[in-house]
Formats: sequence, structure tokens, C-alpha cells
Amino acid sequence: MFVAPHIEWAALSPVLILLGAAVIGVLVEAFVPRGSRRLVQVVVAALALGGALVAVTWRWTVVQQDGPSSLVAGALREDAPALLFQAILLILALLALLVIADRARGEDAFTPTASAIPGSEYEGQARRAGLAQTEVFPLTMFAVTGMLVFPAAADLLTMFIALEVLSLPLYLLAGMARRRRLVSQEASLKYFLLGAFSSAFFLMGLALLYGYAGSVHLADIATAVPLVSGMDGLLLAGSALVIIGLLFKVGAVPFHSWTPDVYQGAPTPITGFMAACTKVAAFAALLRFVYVVTPGLGWDLAPFLWIVAILTMVVGTVLAIVQTDMKRTLAYSSVAHAGFLLLGIIALDERGISGILVYLLAYGLATVGAFALVTLVRTKDAEGNLVGEAGHLSEWAGLGRRSPVLAVCFALFLLSFAGIPLTAGFTGKFAVFGAAVAGGDWPLVVIAVLASAAAAFFYVRIIVLMFFTEPATGEDGSATTVVRSEGLTAVAVVVCAVGTVLVGVVPTAVLAVAAQASKFLL
Amino acid sequence: MTEMTISSGEAVLFWILAPLMVMGALGLLFARRTVHIAVAVAGVMVGLAVMYIANEATFLGVAQVVVYTGAVMMLFVFVIMLIGVDSTESLKETLTGQRWLAALAGVGLLVLMGAITTRAALPAPVGLAEANADTNAVGVARILFSDFIFPFELTGALLITAAVGALSLTHRVRLGAKFGQKEMAAAKLKAYGAGASSTLITNRPNPGVYARHNSADMPAVDAAGEPVEASITTVLRIRGQESNLPSAEELADAGRPYGQGEEPAAVPGAADERKELEQ
Amino acid sequence: MSILNYLVLSGILFAIGGTAVLVRRNAIVAFMGVELMLNAANLTLVTFARMHGDLTGQVIAFFVMVVAAAEVVIGLAIIVSIFRTRGSASLDDASLLKS
Repeated sequence: MFVAPHIEWAALSPVLILLGAAVIGVLVEAFVPRGSRRLVQVVVAALALGGALVAVTWRWTVVQQDGPSSLVAGALREDAPALLFQAILLILALLALLVIADRARGEDAFTPTASAIPGSEYEGQARRAGLAQTEVFPLTMFAVTGMLVFPAAADLLTMFIALEVLSLPLYLLAGMARRRRLVSQEASLKYFLLGAFSSAFFLMGLALLYGYAGSVHLADIATAVPLVSGMDGLLLAGSALVIIGLLFKVGAVPFHSWTPDVYQGAPTPITGFMAACTKVAAFAALLRFVYVVTPGLGWDLAPFLWIVAILTMVVGTVLAIVQTDMKRTLAYSSVAHAGFLLLGIIALDERGISGILVYLLAYGLATVGAFALVTLVRTKDAEGNLVGEAGHLSEWAGLGRRSPVLAVCFALFLLSFAGIPLTAGFTGKFAVFGAAVAGGDWPLVVIAVLASAAAAFFYVRIIVLMFFTEPATGEDGSATTVVRSEGLTAVAVVVCAVGTVLVGVVPTAVLAVAAQASKFLL
Repeated sequence: MTEMTISSGEAVLFWILAPLMVMGALGLLFARRTVHIAVAVAGVMVGLAVMYIANEATFLGVAQVVVYTGAVMMLFVFVIMLIGVDSTESLKETLTGQRWLAALAGVGLLVLMGAITTRAALPAPVGLAEANADTNAVGVARILFSDFIFPFELTGALLITAAVGALSLTHRVRLGAKFGQKEMAAAKLKAYGAGASSTLITNRPNPGVYARHNSADMPAVDAAGEPVEASITTVLRIRGQESNLPSAEELADAGRPYGQGEEPAAVPGAADERKELEQ
Repeated sequence: MSILNYLVLSGILFAIGGTAVLVRRNAIVAFMGVELMLNAANLTLVTFARMHGDLTGQVIAFFVMVVAAAEVVIGLAIIVSIFRTRGSASLDDASLLKS
């Protein structure tokens, strides 16, 4: 007979706040006059993210007291890792929101109206009329909602729906850049097709695991592993397909082909947002899946994960070195970071969870900050008109002399990417590599250290370029200039920089919190 | 838990449907016209619906017809119509060897899926007679609204995203004054006053209809026997789908009783007539 | 005839769909390949539901339909907006990003 499910409203509050904000955002589009829409949207979104962060903190204290629990008929798990991942997500999303909302020189990074054909008369009219595609904000909120559900999802179906909820808005947002719209639309199409492709893999994996265990709850699958015999093929292939679906989102080689194109084509604030937040959410889900379902499969899945991790680290690093475009360089560097993070997954060790938490925080802060700075460095043609972002690396030459603060912040983020001591990146790498060693995967750690050293080379090369090279002027008289942000981006950058330094200098506090989150609720 | 048996009727159904479905699916790989592919895939979807019903999933079978065949695939067909129904795809590969790699990956996938499913020692099927006791729809609803209430609510976010996304990609705010019928008429007259052709202010001529052709792709003929471009809809012209006017001989053939080899009388003075008209 | 037949059929459909995504250059066709893959997964789910005597599989398949419907709306909107820009839905024309 039908039993009405018990719904834990209090525990759902972070998700509900964001979902509510997204829906309000849609209504704002309908009912608030155009002039004040943007302000209302930004305020609603910022309040929702802040409120959700408070709610998550509150739930953290509750969980510390009462222990983890299962929510809404087992669809979600409220445990320490889930809450910490959600907190990191919300912090990064809030910072990314500041960058998204910023209007340097009165223009945000988004097309005035996405329905206009690029270069058409109508687009010019829309620009002159000062239209703004304020749907960006509710879409971002929907994406964050999906990301928030993702780490807590306790059954594969919820995970699948959350995956779609976080992906669909991102497909749209990727195509809304103000400049170079053809490239942006193309990024949107590519991201969409490959994203849909990967979710089909995830779904087939889900179906096979359902066939294996007769349930899609992670816990039920985990308990079925030692009991069910004769269907190991289903379990193994199902797990592999689910993991492949998630690796697509993470951008691990060989499922990374969308990463550079989409990162380059998408509006830069959105690139920062999805580079940081999607990776956090996807790694959280991957971590839960691998740690809960597949520990018994260690030997069967290990070769696959090892190959992926090694390929990701090596290919990401090598291709990052040969890039000449700033956003593509950062994209490949994020691929390489996915490889380092996979070490924590493969470790299958309690320290892996806390290591990945710290690493993701460090990586996320540096990523949001770095992409925020990329939005400010623009190319100016001979007449002094702003053309767009300075994409080519050579355009960044000599930036350290013209705007030392910006260059120093950027250098800090790069050093954090490289994992230089006293930056957050070092703390993260130390934690993850330590977990991998504890899990007995020292050959991987050796490769990771070598790759980090090679990666440090190109990060340092950019720093040298910024501080010790003469600024270049293009043949057509174009030059690089730094635009003043409205203030929001500046705040985001400063917070990211301070966070990066703090996590690097006093890592013990962060590590201690992360260490409390080392066990998933089965 | 009783074991269920599969009737021979179901086996017959399967062996009729499955090859048809695989053939339809292969259209995805080999057919050239997008529309053909869409219809073939829609066919596969209908086949799947029948299989769902055979698999004791009545509700899902109906939903499959309504949602997939009726909504999703028809949306595809709409978009194909929008984009150009006869768009064919050049099957020439741009990245050499990419197709072979892809085919290899496909075969690998096939072998993998085959190996997994056939080598697994599946338990004896239970069947759904018990679960479907209160009809299939009720059984599905019970699970949907108890175990999966949270993902169910979450799909709401998905649907709103879809609506907002589609709107923001296609909806245009009107900028500037409204350009309605009245303004259009005024603009046309103004252009005519400035010396534009008179065809601007009158209706466009209808397409030509002949004894052998009564479709809209045939241009009308003016007094001089020349085709009138404006009589064919713009869409057909852009696609290059308008038919050519039959030659004078063909026309004459059409107007003559079959088998009489008379030379057709030319249309004398047609060109002069036209000149007069223009004056 | 056993329920294995259905699984093999869904495996074949999944592989064909996957290959279509990789081979075809037209975005719409590639997208239809994805739809076929989702449908193949649905057939697997329905078959396993019957095997386990448990309707969960059918419920999941129902969810997949909803998700696919939303995905189709977004995907086709993106494809149409690209078509309006370049007059083509070919993935090869969409290659500004190749470096």
C-alpha cells in the first residue's frame, strides 16, 4: 500500500532556498521592469547563496550532534562530506556570482540578447538599447541547485537528475558570450552534445547496476556486491559506465575533448564558475560512488582508473605547455588538476576524502580568481576601442609593470595551481598525494609529482612573461589594457587571493575540518 | 515468487519487431536525408513502445508513444523542417580515419554490451503479475510518489530550465516602433512613389498552374512567356527548389492532341504586347 | 526466447546510437543518436524491472523520458540558434574552435 514519504524539510533547506531563488528569478524576469531587473536578480541570487551557506553551516552542527541521516525516502544522504562539499560549492558559487554580475565599463560578459543573430542589425539595436540577458542569474541558480544535490545524492536516479539539472543551464550559459559569439555558440553546441552523450553512458551504467542489484540506491548496490553472484559483468560494466559518465563532467582524459573548446568559448565568468563548481560537484559524486559502491571491486576497476589518472595528468600537463591562448592554457591545466584529484579517488582511503576536499577548495579559489582576472585584461585596437579579452599569451607580456596588483594576484593563483609551498595548492596537493601514498599508490604519486614539476614550468613561464618582458604592441597598433571592474570582481579576486594564502599558510584549521568529513554514510 | 514464462506469441512479436527496429536504427548510420533518419528513429520508438507493453509496462508503453514519438521526435521533425527539409549530409569525412576509429569504438561497444548481457547468469525472471496487481499505472505511481518523490520534484527544475532556456534563445523583445500591416503598406507606397516597381504594392502573382504541373514550385508566366520570379515563395527559391518553366516545345506539346506532328504556331507579337503594356 | 533477447537488442541499439554520435557530422543526427542511446537504456531498465518483479525500473525509465524531453528542448534550441547564425547544422562548419 502507499505510504506517504516523510520529508525532512529542515535538512532540505539549502536546496530549497536555491530552488526558490531560481524560481523567483524567473518570476522577476516576468514582472520586474527591465531597468531594475539586473539589480534584483543579483540581490536575490546573492542572498540565496548566502542563505544556503548559513543553512549548510547549521546542518553541519546538527550532523555533528545527531550523526548523519538519510533524507526523503533515501534519495539524499546528509553526512559530513556532503555538507562540506556543499559549503565549498556555495562559497565558490558566491564568488563566481560576483564575477558574473560585474559590469566592467558598463558591459557585462553576456550578449545583450541571446536570440539575436551575431552581427545582425537587431543585435546592434539591442546593445544600444542597453538590454541585458538577465536570465543568466536564474539559470546559474538552477545550476547551483543541481550541484548542491549532486554530492548528497544517495541513489543513482537522483544523481542522474541532479546531473541534468546542473548541466542544462550550463549548456545554455556557455553560448551567451558578448564577444566572439560564433565561438561561444559553438562551445554551447559541443558541450551539449558531449554532455548528452556522457549522460547516456551514465544512464546505461545505471540500468546495468539496477539489473545487478534490483535497486539504484548506492547502499543497496553496495550490500548486493558480496551477495549476488554470476552477474559480475553487469556490476563491473555498470560501475565503469557510471564512472565514465562522471569522468566526462570532470574532464578526465580521454573524456576531456570538450574542455578546452568550451572553456575558451564560454563567457569567461561562466568558465570560472563551471571550471570550479562543476568539478567540485562531479568529484563529490564520483567520490561517493567509488567509495560506497566499488570498494569490493578494487582490483577490477583499478587498472581502468590508473590509466585514466595517468593519461589525465600527462596529457593535461603536456598540452597546457603548448597552448598559446590563456583560457585554453587554464583549461588544460584544469584537466591536469582532474588527474591529480583522481589520485585521491583511487586511494580508497579515508584521507582521500579530506584530501580531495582541501584540494578542491584550493583549486576552486584559484580558478575563480584566475578567470575573474582574465575578464579584466582586454585588447584595445589602434583607435583605443576595447575589442575583447586578451586571449593570446603574448598579450599578457609586461602586465606586471602596468597593473602590478592584478599581476601579483594572477601570479599567486598560478603558484597555487603549481602547488608551491605557502599557497593553498600546496596544501591540497600534499593532502591528496599523502592519501594516495597511504592507499599504496606510490607509482601514481611519482608520476603526479613529475607532472606537477612540469606544470610548474609553464606557470612560471607566464609569471616571467608578466613581470620580466616588455609589453608588446600588436602590428595593427592594438595593445593590452586592464579595465576597471565595477568592484564586484575586485572583491571576488581579493577574497580568492586571501583564501589561497590563508589555506596555504595556516592549513591546519582547514585540514582539521576536512578530517572530520572522512567517512560517507553508507 | 513464482517464475514467469514468456509466451510464444511474445517471441514471435520480438522476432518480427527486433529486426525492424535494428534496421530503423541503422538508418542513423547510413541514411543521408535527415528527415528519413527522423522517421526511422520514430519507428524505432514505436517498436520500443510495443516492447514495453510486451514487458508488462503498459503505462510506459503509452507514455513512450505520447512523449517520444508524439512529442520528442515530432519536435525533431519540426526543427528539420525549419532548417531545410532536404538538407543532406555530405558523408565525406573531414578528419581522415576518424570514421574508422568511430566504427571501431562502435563495434567495441557492441561487443562489450553483448558480452555483459549474454555472459551474465541472470536469475530466473519473476514477472510483474504481482506488482501490477492494481494495474501498472497505480503500481508505478506508488513508487514514483514515495521512493522517488525527491527526484520527481527536482525534474521541475529541469522543465523550468528548458522553458527559460528555449525562450531566451529564441524570444526577441521588440525594439523600436511596431512594424505592422499599416506601416508596411505605407512603406511600400513610399517606395513605389520613389520609383520602385509596381509589383511591390500589389499582391504577388500566383504560381503558374499548368496542365502537367499544379504545384507551387512552378513560376507564373508573364505576357512575354518569361517566368515571374516573384510568383514562387521565397523559401523554395532560396532552397533552389523552383521548377523550370517548360520550354516552348514542351508547352506546345502539352496543348496539342496526342500524335499530331504539327509545328506549333509561335506566339507572334507577345514581346511587343508586353512592351505596350509597360508603356 | 528469454528476456536476454531484449537485453541484447538494447545493447545493439545502444551501440548503434553511440556510433552515430561519433560518426555523423550533422548535429541533429548526432543528437538523435543520443536519444537512441537513452531509449536503449530504457529498454534495459524495463527488462530488468520484469526480471526483478519490481516496478522501480519502469519508474526510472519514466524519469528518463522527462529528462530527455527537457534535454531535447534545450538541444534543439541551441541547434536552431546556430543554424540561424550560419545557415548550417553541420558540426564541421562549427569548427572555429579547432586550434
